[in-house]
Amino acid sequence: MSIDIRNLTFRYNPGTPLENTSLKDISLSIGKGEFILIGGEIGSGKSTLVRHFNGLLKPSSGQVTVDGMAAHAKKVKARVGVLFQFPQQQLFGRTVFEDVAFGPRNFGLRGNELEEQVYSALELLGFDKEICSNSPFHLSGGQMRLVAIAGVLASMPEYLVLDEPFSGLDAENRTTLLSALKHLTTKGTSVIVVSHRIPDLLSAADRIFLLDHGNLVFGGTPVDYVKHAPYLPEITCLMKEMRRKGFDVRDDIFHIDDAFSEISRVLNTKGAVGK
Amino acid sequence: MNNLFFRYVPGNSIIHRLDPRVKIAAMLITSISIFISSSFREMAVVALVFFLLVLISSTSVRIILGAVRPMLMFLGIIFILQLFLTEGNPLFSLMGLDATYEGLALGALMSMRFLFLLMFASLLTATTAPSVMTTGIEKMLRPLPLKKLGISSFDLATMMFLSLHFVPLLYGSFSHLRDAQVSRGLDMARNPFKAVYALSVPMVRTAFTSAEEVAVAMESRCYQGVNRSSLNEPVMQKKDLAALLIFGIIMFFLV
Repeated sequence: MSIDIRNLTFRYNPGTPLENTSLKDISLSIGKGEFILIGGEIGSGKSTLVRHFNGLLKPSSGQVTVDGMAAHAKKVKARVGVLFQFPQQQLFGRTVFEDVAFGPRNFGLRGNELEEQVYSALELLGFDKEICSNSPFHLSGGQMRLVAIAGVLASMPEYLVLDEPFSGLDAENRTTLLSALKHLTTKGTSVIVVSHRIPDLLSAADRIFLLDHGNLVFGGTPVDYVKHAPYLPEITCLMKEMRRKGFDVRDDIFHIDDAFSEISRVLNTKGAVGK
Repeated sequence: MNNLFFRYVPGNSIIHRLDPRVKIAAMLITSISIFISSSFREMAVVALVFFLLVLISSTSVRIILGAVRPMLMFLGIIFILQLFLTEGNPLFSLMGLDATYEGLALGALMSMRFLFLLMFASLLTATTAPSVMTTGIEKMLRPLPLKKLGISSFDLATMMFLSLHFVPLLYGSFSHLRDAQVSRGLDMARNPFKAVYALSVPMVRTAFTSAEEVAVAMESRCYQGVNRSSLNEPVMQKKDLAALLIFGIIMFFLV
């Protein structure tokens, strides 16, 4: 069970002077319960790639299949939940409940089951039940965004694709969202986060893909990433710097905890700690 | 932005380089000729002129079709109304309504008029950059005594430019929104009323927000509507005048 992309090429406006090849021969595969990061500069084709996961765009050549079905099949939309950039723009319900229930209701959910999924999606993002009867337009920007994310979560997709979900969120909301996403992966949901700030999210990821001008230039684990990629998390930079200064530490580290134990190990062998 | 709806396509043909005022005036002449032409023979001439201009400007057919496609339903309605509601020799009957030969001819003519109007307009926007077009319009309006109405030709041109500027912008946020709601399982074909609601509420909000943002951005850069200068001042050359004259004569005599 996976999303499989094989030799995907996509052109905008084919056959006109405005023709523009946005994705070139991309192949990748995303399995159940994986936390995937897709990175790249603005204009690298990230958002175009996202629109192929649930068949909003059809490949100019190549194939995209979700659990063996073609991505534009109707059933796929219920399996692959996509959250686009600026999701707060998509709110339209009279109440928060109505808006969050829009997705699951479209996929055929009714009654208690519907209510339960709406409440659990909102709860996962740190909202109380009371918010359900409020108008979504009276919330703050960050909260509107979280409600919009809940609107996608409530459909319980098996693959959750989020395009720049963290931009414009404050530190507290970032933490809430990140732990909600991690929680989902433990339950078998695949989470695919598109971001141009890979280093900040590296410690959460299972695998990373990097796009550059429509080409897939990197695919691998965080350990591979810190060995090869140009943009590194601050903690990795610190370890590299220490290594250059003569400390015998590993520099392929991107977790704070690993860095802490590595540093205390080195300091301990030198006898600096504990004296 | 990846839509072709009345989109400017950079190019270097004679038509691209013509003075915008010539093109706008030609567009006016064409519109008048299209509306006074009342036979298929005259329509054929209009079509011929159109295809010649498309060839000269080497505009892609897809661009033209991009402007026509969203209006096809509208054209169809015009055709069907004319077909059934014109009196004359009956052609066939459908649910108690008689289609007539006269209706068929009139319907075809009416929808062709709108079709060509649309296609000429898309040719104009495809070959003229919006900023150049605005300057052209502004210069054409300047001699008019608009001051007495409390508005300057510069204000009018700015309004026009902003409307042009907002078409692709709104279309962009519309497709963004449609993608988002379709991803949440909205079936636009099966549930059109729900679709209108789920799209129009956020669209209105977006439109107001972005209009306000543009207004604030303009004011914070000291926009004023009097005697604005322009980056590319169009200069009417002899060949521009000649082109307009020739075009006017052709249209006048043929149609």
